[in-house]
Amino acid sequence: MRLSIMTILIGIGLMAHSPSLAAEDEDPFADVKPQPQEDEIKNKSSFKQFFLENFGFRKELMSEFGIDANQSMASRQSIGFEVLKKFSTATRTFSAINFQGRLVRRDGYVGFLNDLEGMDRRGFFFEYHNAYVDFYNVLDPLLKASYQNALVGRFNFRIGRFYLPFGLNLQTDTHGLVLQLSNERNFGYERDWYAGLWGNLNQHLQYNLYYMMGSGYDPKYAGQAGLMGGRISLSNQYASEYGLEGGVAVMVGQRLSPDALARSIAVAQHASGNAHVDTLRFGVDVRYRHAVPTGLVTWTSELGGGWDAPDGVFNQLHELSYLHASRRFGACTQFRWFWQNMSKSRDIDPVLALKSIDASVLTEITWYFRNDVANSNLHWIKLNAETQMMRQKGGVNVIGTLQYYLYW
Amino acid sequence: MLLERCSITCIGKTLMMIVAIFLLPQRAWAAIGCTLTDPAEDLKYLYPEMTSYKEELKEFTRMTGGTVLFASLKDRLGSDLDPIYETYETPYTVYSVFKGTQKMGIVHGVNVPGKGGVIQVFLSMDPTTAEIRKFFFQRLESPAATQLRLKAFREQFEKMTLADFYKHDYYAAVDPHAPADKLGKIKPPALDATTRPDYDASLRGIRKNLILLDFFIYGKRFEPFFEKSKQALQRKNKTKG
Repeated sequence: MRLSIMTILIGIGLMAHSPSLAAEDEDPFADVKPQPQEDEIKNKSSFKQFFLENFGFRKELMSEFGIDANQSMASRQSIGFEVLKKFSTATRTFSAINFQGRLVRRDGYVGFLNDLEGMDRRGFFFEYHNAYVDFYNVLDPLLKASYQNALVGRFNFRIGRFYLPFGLNLQTDTHGLVLQLSNERNFGYERDWYAGLWGNLNQHLQYNLYYMMGSGYDPKYAGQAGLMGGRISLSNQYASEYGLEGGVAVMVGQRLSPDALARSIAVAQHASGNAHVDTLRFGVDVRYRHAVPTGLVTWTSELGGGWDAPDGVFNQLHELSYLHASRRFGACTQFRWFWQNMSKSRDIDPVLALKSIDASVLTEITWYFRNDVANSNLHWIKLNAETQMMRQKGGVNVIGTLQYYLYW
Repeated sequence: MLLERCSITCIGKTLMMIVAIFLLPQRAWAAIGCTLTDPAEDLKYLYPEMTSYKEELKEFTRMTGGTVLFASLKDRLGSDLDPIYETYETPYTVYSVFKGTQKMGIVHGVNVPGKGGVIQVFLSMDPTTAEIRKFFFQRLESPAATQLRLKAFREQFEKMTLADFYKHDYYAAVDPHAPADKLGKIKPPALDATTRPDYDASLRGIRKNLILLDFFIYGKRFEPFFEKSKQALQRKNKTKG
């Protein structure tokens, strides 16, 4: 018994004097030090770093089936890819390349909103979408460090094919969506070939300023003057802090637009056979995101007015969308309205002149299997219905679209 | 009827293309992940003296031992990974900020699920000490956005490291009022029960961000703190048992 008490006392004494255990009672981390850092890039060749790092390749499957009220059906199937590479030196990322391509198979045509380009493309067709190069801070090689500091983000140069600098398209990736913004209807295309500058004006505003070829899909020169386009928009801090995006834009010059010529006798006559459409547009756009207890509600509006000489034109698009907080389910409704002053065409030929307004209401529901926040992995099924309210040409229709989309 | 127009040759070509696309190597997209929407402006705000920045894409799918590293993220985070926000394929973009050739800072963002949607948690870090310089939200889809964006709340995280989060695991379980528990001293903004989950999600976002930076940039510098915290907790639990 005496031995046992002695043993316990000795044990307690040893524990009390044990440096490690005593220290642990006070602070178990007192003797813990961060482990030395290894040089993570020591074994990588500069060749690999330059060409293979920051290189991305994504694949895409899109399957769409459509039917309209006249029982016409259409199928649009595609496989595609997207490549992006950013180039960097040891201290700066100075350039990026982006290319999107798709092999599309089309059978029938009902006028999917995201495939108006496909109107004249039957069977197989390989098409490109984004195809551009960015050069960041292009003046840096000419500047002292103090000026480089002052001008960070001010002067970036873009050349190639990308979204028009009008409306919200520049900050909205509509590549896989059925619902589109208004540029395709407003100009006849949503992307053009261009070169120009973009960047920050100050901490509140950003700018985009480009000279565009004015030819839409193909880089085609047929004597047109091209378009100058510029947009000034709110900087990212407004989107981050208030959920607000918005801007004003102007486009002026000449473009090639078979749609505009076919739509208006007066525009065709004004072009006098050379297919150049004198174009002017002013635009204002806004998007507001607001968190609600179950998810996110977003309001989008685009307004644009001006002329396709000599006709005045005006378009508006309003959209209300909801995304459940789980990002599994979404719903959206959109109103689109395009007006063109056809009075001159009616004066020329009252019989052949088209009506003035195209208007539609679209509703859409989406089930997401994957819906990565940054759009890097997407997988969904969409059901979309377009109810046409007024048409410039032909009668109104209802178009149903079922879309399966996978991007990975 | 639709398929009648497509000849067997056409179908064959399509199938071959599909097979070819699926056989292409799996690589994640470079320009995405949780990126700054306007890196130049944001980085200039964080580091007014900067002259340039460099973007680096980090992906578990392309890292040696990426699967093991990704699996270890869950242990270090202390909670399950979200199947939408936190997949193996999710890419991350790390921004290094320079003044001339001197590296001034590191900026990195992550997405975490909040009650109302996405919470994008960005950290600007000291490149040598791995301490938080600034913590800010880019997207914050939360009814508690105003309170969580308060500077007084966010400033409390400055100078903290991942070690403080690992240590907190131990202190929270063993000695919730320990003076050495920096994270335990954080005063949350005034939130009710419905918005409190977004506060917890924000803390989780900071922790995830620090863990990923420890993996990607700092060479698992704070791993000894994770191991020690785990061991100390196990020892305490055994003693209690």
